[in-house]
Amino acid sequence: MLRHLNKLRLATLTLIFAALILLPFLSIYQSYRAAYAYDLLAPTEQRLYDAMEWLTESFTNDPAEDLDAIKGTTWSASIFDLKLSDPLAVVGQIAAGARVYSPFLLSALIPIILTVLLGRFFCGWVCPATLLYEINSALSRWLRALGLRSPTRHFDLRFKYGVLAVGLLLSVATGSIFFAIIYPPAIIGRELYYAIALGGFGAGTVFFALTLLFDLLVARRGFCRYLCPGGALYSLLGRYRLLRIARKVEQCNDCTKCDVVCEFGLLPMRDGFGQECNNCTACMAVCPTDALAFRIALTDLPAQGAGHLGRTHLRHGAAHTPGEN
Amino acid sequence: MQRRAFLGDLIQGAVAAATLGAVVPDVVAAPGVRRYLRPPGALAEEDFTAQCIHCGQCAEICPNRCIRYFGLENGLASVDTPYIIPREQACILCMKCGEVCPSGAIQPVPREMEAILDKVHMGTARVDKRICLSWQGKTCGVCYRACPLPDIAIRVGRLEQPHVLDGCVGCGICERSCIQIPQAIRIIPDRRGTAMS
Repeated sequence: MLRHLNKLRLATLTLIFAALILLPFLSIYQSYRAAYAYDLLAPTEQRLYDAMEWLTESFTNDPAEDLDAIKGTTWSASIFDLKLSDPLAVVGQIAAGARVYSPFLLSALIPIILTVLLGRFFCGWVCPATLLYEINSALSRWLRALGLRSPTRHFDLRFKYGVLAVGLLLSVATGSIFFAIIYPPAIIGRELYYAIALGGFGAGTVFFALTLLFDLLVARRGFCRYLCPGGALYSLLGRYRLLRIARKVEQCNDCTKCDVVCEFGLLPMRDGFGQECNNCTACMAVCPTDALAFRIALTDLPAQGAGHLGRTHLRHGAAHTPGEN
Repeated sequence: MQRRAFLGDLIQGAVAAATLGAVVPDVVAAPGVRRYLRPPGALAEEDFTAQCIHCGQCAEICPNRCIRYFGLENGLASVDTPYIIPREQACILCMKCGEVCPSGAIQPVPREMEAILDKVHMGTARVDKRICLSWQGKTCGVCYRACPLPDIAIRVGRLEQPHVLDGCVGCGICERSCIQIPQAIRIIPDRRGTAMS
């Protein structure tokens, strides 16, 4: 059961990305409807109009008004009068303007509560950049098959907290939220809108392409691991999260598949999750003995030593003390 | 010899281009030179750039697609913030952007006459009588007929000569509709903006 969660996650990510592409098209369609402009449209625009009409006609009779219900991106969105915002946007705005705008703070409340309970789930389950970064990781594996060096550099995971701090200082200094130009979930939604509805990419695309190259050539998932200010904030918020992945040492056979698959370079086989784990469940999906499962607790299990189905444990039996790895 | 002359021309051209390149962007792209409006309900300029989180929802919801976004041309604090060039596409005062804006940079203003007159300060129209057809003796009155707040924001006198009144909120429909090229009526932006509630 649990091993299918990863597929559900990939489906969720794909759905969110598809929505980010669809929303600008719907927005254009709405303005065509509002203007009663079908006869004035170019053939390509008419095809867009027809496609969007086909998509939405079973939901609404008045698309120009009703489609206003869902707007926005993963940075900030409004869904049927419910406004949801990224906590990083709230923190950045407070730094930029030195004041708290309470309606905006409220819009980040649900994400903050979920992060406190579930940890960095946003990074694994929602962020539209994650889909592209994971495709990028797969690409680097294919490139390795072709003989190119794989990205193996490691840096200090704490570097991203520095990025968060510097970003806040820059927001204070410039009087404008700095994260919006370096934070992929903010960039992607906005750039997709620019590209589709306004006809052209902005500077954010260049920055995002550079992060992809960094991941491809220097460090696997390097941006998320070492640089992302949002990831840093979520890690801090989710430090004492309730939902954790834990290893059942009785079922583990020391195969290391989980250590290899972890995009964040964590070591599930050595019980090394910590605040960096985003509950993406990729390790659960590859575990051949179903030794990884969710656990409700405020802390990770201490190191449990070799798995009981593994060679080390079988050879030394119960004499093998936990933690000796 | 010919080659040397060609090289000389090349160097001269390069120097000229470099000089132009160094001078022109300063003139064209200096902040504050561009005449743009912020969406209706926007805060005063400095508060606006501090509050705006660059999410793009205001343009997404704008039925008239008049909202665009700055690149680097208006300074670093303005990157990805919304603006309106009324001559290209003007605001129809539907007030949806303030409703959708999560950050408070565009304050929600109800779509009612009193609220709009009270809170929206995008700018004020100004008529250039040297260009205006009506002021030149050819009856026009297009700006008056386009105005969403006729006789509150603008009234017409003899020969449909437009007079801008205190009620003008600066939506820019008049500038958009002006049949003269260049336009005889322009919105002068008002950077005081809307007060935060």
